[in-house]
Amino acid sequence: MATYVLRRLIQAIPILVGISIISFAIVHLAPGDPVDRFRSGRVSPQVIQNLIRLYGLDKPILEQFTSWFTTFWQFWKPEAWGFSFIDGRPVTEKIAEKAPTTLLLMGTALAVTTVVAVPLGILAAVKQYSWADKIITTLATIGYALPSFVLGVLLLFTFNIAIKPGSPLHFPGYGLQTLGVENNPVDIAWHLVLPVSSLAIQQIAGWSRYMRSSMLEVLQQDYMRTARAKGLPGSKVLFKHGLRNALIPIITLLGLTLPSLLGGAAITESIFSWPGLGYMAVQSVSTNDYPVVLAIVMIGGAMVILGNLIADVLYGFVDPRIKY
Amino acid sequence: MERIEPTAASTRVLAPISDTDEVDLIPVRTYWQLVRQRFVQHRLAVIALFLMLVLVVLAIVVPTLTGQGYAKTSLSTTMRPPFQSLTSPLGTNQIGQDMFLRLMKAMQTSLFIGFMAVVIIAAVGVTLGAIAGFFGGWIDNVIMRIVDVVLSLPIFFLIVMIVSFFGKGDAWVVIIAIGITGWTLACRLVRAEFLKLRDADFVQAARALGAGRMRIAARHMLPAALAPVVVAATLGIADSVVTEAALSFLGFGISPPEASLGNMLRNFEEDIQVRPILLVWPSVTIVLIVLAASFLGDGLRDALDPRQRIEKK
Repeated sequence: MATYVLRRLIQAIPILVGISIISFAIVHLAPGDPVDRFRSGRVSPQVIQNLIRLYGLDKPILEQFTSWFTTFWQFWKPEAWGFSFIDGRPVTEKIAEKAPTTLLLMGTALAVTTVVAVPLGILAAVKQYSWADKIITTLATIGYALPSFVLGVLLLFTFNIAIKPGSPLHFPGYGLQTLGVENNPVDIAWHLVLPVSSLAIQQIAGWSRYMRSSMLEVLQQDYMRTARAKGLPGSKVLFKHGLRNALIPIITLLGLTLPSLLGGAAITESIFSWPGLGYMAVQSVSTNDYPVVLAIVMIGGAMVILGNLIADVLYGFVDPRIKY
Repeated sequence: MERIEPTAASTRVLAPISDTDEVDLIPVRTYWQLVRQRFVQHRLAVIALFLMLVLVVLAIVVPTLTGQGYAKTSLSTTMRPPFQSLTSPLGTNQIGQDMFLRLMKAMQTSLFIGFMAVVIIAAVGVTLGAIAGFFGGWIDNVIMRIVDVVLSLPIFFLIVMIVSFFGKGDAWVVIIAIGITGWTLACRLVRAEFLKLRDADFVQAARALGAGRMRIAARHMLPAALAPVVVAATLGIADSVVTEAALSFLGFGISPPEASLGNMLRNFEEDIQVRPILLVWPSVTIVLIVLAASFLGDGLRDALDPRQRIEKK
């Protein structure tokens, strides 16, 4: 197992190099340069020249790339990811500050998704073609067709605006916590409800469909019939023999969801003004804050690779047929 | 292998034909006839196809007939409620623009971006996938490593970057951004089909007949490898429309006075408080397009799979 993980990590290096080349190229091919926003009648050309030298923009592009790429990996140093063009703070610090809020949102949504989607999928599969199955499948199709921004706006309208404050079904739709209330878990949980629902509904729609088809396939297997034939109680057959096998494809989804939440969260975080990485990512692109943009692409790429690796390692744990 | 059930037609063929028997000709059904027959059986897919056609025709005809009408503001007729008059069936917005005309124009923009992005996705994906699968070896290796890199990129964020840096508000930048980041699935599908087809009987037959490599790849293998791409492309329309809408929603895609389904939702923070009705039309339209494309895709998947036989009801 350890050698397998090591091999996969070594294979990830060229992919990370590829990601960094592409993201670096996009940023550098973009029209204009980072000092453009300082250029005005009031700034002397000498100052601009100094800035260009300060940022290393006068060096050949290959040298700029290698110096950025080599310092990037020393992420324990505050200057490793450069400094934000907007407020001059180290990018590592800005990201470390926002990461917990995004993780809280992502983690809660993922937990809710797993807890709801897996039983729903099992129910739909075990009672195939029943009314329960039909309702679950229909809702899943609708949930799947609702883009995150439509769903987010719909939830915001229903539970924040149409339902007036004072009602128990009124939820906050702005930010992480109420102004003036600091770090109160109940208040934060209250603020989590709408963004988490928005993320989870979509994922539940997708996951329950996968879970259903995966369970249906397992139910037809010979080992299920064997287990039943040797007289095991139905629940044991279903959960010990069926569920464990049916969960294997869900692990892939888990691996895929890990990084995609960063992109998906950008929209949800913007709708609910959730102060996380996704919101910051969008802000940094629209303000041409290149160091932050580059760091976020690299983190996103690393998370994809990590997600795939985690999924593959988990496969080994749940499925003894897979050997590394 | 699936066991082939003897059907009335096949037993008739197998029965010895004596001189006195009238030869009962079995109607030969071509692949495309079978596809159509299987597709028509899929009721939701037929409805989806019809819906898609209606949306496309509306998106082409209405903006063409009404020209710049979608952008015309009129401060004497702001916030007219929907379903009140025949001239503006969906009412007007806060600056007096006709919501129906705006919606149709937005649908045109969004569908155009969606379809064109899928065309690029299919063109790049099919070409690279066919090259990788046909030549194999180091060419395959290089292409698949590029696929690995693109698959590892945070795609949506990358699209946001490209669109923001290279031309906010330009439909073609949006199309190209979605296109050059979305081709990996099509590429892998075509490559897999080509690998499977390399040793297929009909490909060997063509080789035996002396057909050149290019001819075999283009005329024999490519048509046989396209079915999964057609399905993926249909589903891809939904994805591209949603991606464009998300971009414009965040303020990176198409910006007013042009209309797109996403930018009609852009002022949601204000609209949701004061005039939520304006958010209904673009939302419903996006969901309809997504539903139509996904049911159409599902129907095509079932119809194009040659291993599936028509179930007798």
